[in-house]
Amino acid sequence: MMIQVSQLAKIYSTGAHPVVALKDVNLEVKTGEFVSVMGPSGSGKSTLMNLLGCLDTPTSGSYKLDGIEISTLDDTGMARVRNIKIGFVFQNFNLLSRTTAQRNVELPMLYAGIDARERVRRATTALERVGLADRINYRPNQLSGGQVQRVAIARALVNEPAVLLADEPTGNLDTRSGEEIMAIFQDLNRGGATIVLVTHEWDIALHTSRIIHFRDGSLVDDEKVENPRKAVEQLTKLGPGNQNNTHASEISALVVPSGEVPFVQTVSEFDARRGDAQ
Amino acid sequence: MNLLESIRVALEGVRANKLRSFLTTLGIIIGIAAVIAVVAIGQGGRAVLMTEMEKVGTNIFVIYPDWRNQEQSTGNKFELSDMQVLKDKVPAITHLSANSSNMDDVRGPKDKKYCQVRGVSSDYAFTSKLTMKKGRFFSSEDDSLSQRVAVLDEALADEIFGRTEPVGNMVSIGNTPFLVIGLVAKGESIFGFGENVNAYIPGRAWRNMYGDYINELEGSAVSKEKVQETMDQTVKVLERRHRGSEYASQSMEQVMQSANKITGIMTLIIGAIAGISLFVGGIGVMNIMLVSVTERTREIGIRKALGARRKDILIQFLIESVVLCILGGIIGMALGIGGAFLIAKVAKWSPLVSWWTALIAFAFSAAIGIIFGMLPANKAAKMDPIEALRRD
Ligand SMILES: Nc1ncnc2c1ncn2[C@@H]1O[C@H](COP(=O)(O)OP(=O)(O)OP(=O)(O)O)[C@@H](O)[C@H]1O
Ligand SMILES: [Mg+2]
Repeated sequence: MMIQVSQLAKIYSTGAHPVVALKDVNLEVKTGEFVSVMGPSGSGKSTLMNLLGCLDTPTSGSYKLDGIEISTLDDTGMARVRNIKIGFVFQNFNLLSRTTAQRNVELPMLYAGIDARERVRRATTALERVGLADRINYRPNQLSGGQVQRVAIARALVNEPAVLLADEPTGNLDTRSGEEIMAIFQDLNRGGATIVLVTHEWDIALHTSRIIHFRDGSLVDDEKVENPRKAVEQLTKLGPGNQNNTHASEISALVVPSGEVPFVQTVSEFDARRGDAQ
Repeated sequence: MNLLESIRVALEGVRANKLRSFLTTLGIIIGIAAVIAVVAIGQGGRAVLMTEMEKVGTNIFVIYPDWRNQEQSTGNKFELSDMQVLKDKVPAITHLSANSSNMDDVRGPKDKKYCQVRGVSSDYAFTSKLTMKKGRFFSSEDDSLSQRVAVLDEALADEIFGRTEPVGNMVSIGNTPFLVIGLVAKGESIFGFGENVNAYIPGRAWRNMYGDYINELEGSAVSKEKVQETMDQTVKVLERRHRGSEYASQSMEQVMQSANKITGIMTLIIGAIAGISLFVGGIGVMNIMLVSVTERTREIGIRKALGARRKDILIQFLIESVVLCILGGIIGMALGIGGAFLIAKVAKWSPLVSWWTALIAFAFSAAIGIIFGMLPANKAAKMDPIEALRRD
C-alpha cells in the first residue's frame, strides 16, 4: 500500500472561527494507482494534497506513505520525505522564474546531494522524457504554460519519487496542453508510477482509473473508471494544435497503440510539428 | 546542498540585483576602505618614525636629575668628576657626554643669532649621531684644555657666515671668540621642522663662561640589551656619590616603546570608529537581507517543497550575506589602498599595507556577513513551506 490515511482531520484555527477543512478522511491508494480527486471549491482537496505532500501537518489522524508514519517525523524528516518520496506538481507551476528549465529540474537533486554531473545527466533525461529536449536552457518566461508545467513534471519525477501528487496541474492550461500533461501522467503511470491528481474537470478525471469525491472536508464517494480515456487518442482527435489538419495522417501514424511506443516521442513530435507550422 | 552550489546561487542573486547589492554593501565598503587607508597611513608613518629612531641608536640613554621627589630643586646634581668614575665603575658605558645648554648670541661676520649654545663632551658627536659636513668635532684634548673651539650646525653657519667659509674663521659666542673647526650636516628630518641651529663648544669652555652646571648625562651602552642595566648602574653610582639626590633615566628604547604605545592607542581608537561604521554597515546588510527574504518567500517555499531542509535555506541566505559582505570588503580594500597611496603622494611617507591588515579586513567582512545575516537567514529557514508557497 502506497498511501494509507485514517481518520485524518485538518482544522484551521487561524481566523476568528476555526475552519474544519478535512474531517474523518480514510483513504488507501495502492502502488501504481492513478487517482483523481474531485469536489467543489473549498471542499478540502488542496488541504488533502498538502497533507499527502508533507507540506502541512494534520490536526489529527494518521498518514502512512510507503510504510513511513509521517506524524513521527520532525522537520528534517519531512523535508527528506518531500525530497525523495514525493513529486509535487502545482497548479501555478512554481518554477524559479530566473532559472533555466535545466536548473529548475536539478533543484530536488541538489537537496538530495547528487553530484553535478549526475544532476545534469538526470535533468536532461527527465526533460527529454516530457518532450522538452530542445528547451533545456529556456527560462520559464520563455516557455508556454504547457511547457512550463512539463518542466515542473520533469522536476517532480527527477528524484524517482514513490508518489506523484498534482493539485490541478491542468487548471491553468488550455485543452490541448492539458491533454499533453495527462498523456505524460498516463505514460508515467503505465511505467508504474503512483499518481494522485486534483481536478475540477470531468474530462481530466476520466483519464484516471479511480475518482474520489470530496464535499465539505469529507470523502463522500469513491468510484472506479471502467475505461479511462487515453490522452494520446484525444490529442489525435484535437489535431496538431491550432493549425488545420493537414498533418493529421502523419500524426496518427506516430500515435500507435499505447504501451508500444514510448510516449516521449509522441509529445515531442507534436511539439516539433507545432513549431514547424508556426 | 554543498557549499560551492550555495555560493553559485548566492552570486546569481547578487548579479541579478547589482545596484541593490552595491548599495547594500556601501556601509561595509566605506568602513573597510577607511580602516585600510588609515591603518596603511599609520603603519607607514610608524615605520618611518621607527627607522628614524633606529638611526639615532637604540642603545643611547640620558640621565637627568629627578626633580619630582626633591624639596630643593636647585644645586648642581652632576660633577665633572662623575664622568671618570662612571666610566670606571660602569664598563658597559662606551661613550658618555656631560651636556649643558644656554641661550646666547652667536655672532659671525654676516649676522648674529640668539640660539642654543651647548657645552658637551667630545663623545657627544657619537651619542647624538652627528654627521660632520666639514672639518671635525672637537676632541677630548680640546675639552680638557678648554680650547675655545666651536662646531656649528650647518643652518646656523649659513645664517651668520653667509658666503664666507666658516671653518677656520672666528665667531663670538656671548663676547668670547671661538674658532670654528667643523660643521654638522643637516639631518634629514621626517618631521620637516625643527631644523637644528646649535653651537657646540667643549664642556669646560662652556662652564668657564656660564658657570659650573651640567644638565644631563648622555651615554651609549655596549648593546641595546644592556641599556637598561647600564642606566640602572649609572643611577646607582650617581646616587651614592650625591647623597640626597635622585636621578631619572630614559633610553631611546623607551622612547620608541612609548611611541609604539601611542600608535597602538591610535590604532585602537581608529579601530573603534571603524567598528562602529562596520556595525552600521552590518545593520544595512541585515536590513536588505530581511527585505530580500520577504521578497523571495515564494522561492523559499518552492525550495522547501522540493526537499530543502531548514539548514539548507539557512546556509543559502547566510552565504548570500557573507558573499555580499566579502564583495563589499574587497571593493573597500581596493578603495582603501588606492586612497592611502593617494594621500601618500601628498604626505611624505609611503603607506604600508600589510597582509594581515587585508586578512583582518577580509575576515571582518565575512564575520559581519555571518553575524548580520543570521537573523534574516533564520527567518527564511523557519518559514512554513505551505505559507511561503501561498504568498506571492
Ligand atoms: N491557511 C488557511 N487558513 C484558514 N482556512 C483555510 C486555509 N487554507 C484553506 N482553508 C479553508 O479550508 C477549506 C478547504 O480549502 P482547500 O483549499 O482545501 O479547498 P479546495 O477543495 O482545494 O478548493 P479549490 O477547488 O477552490 O482549490 C476552505 O474552506 C478554505 O477556506
Ligand atoms: Mg485547491
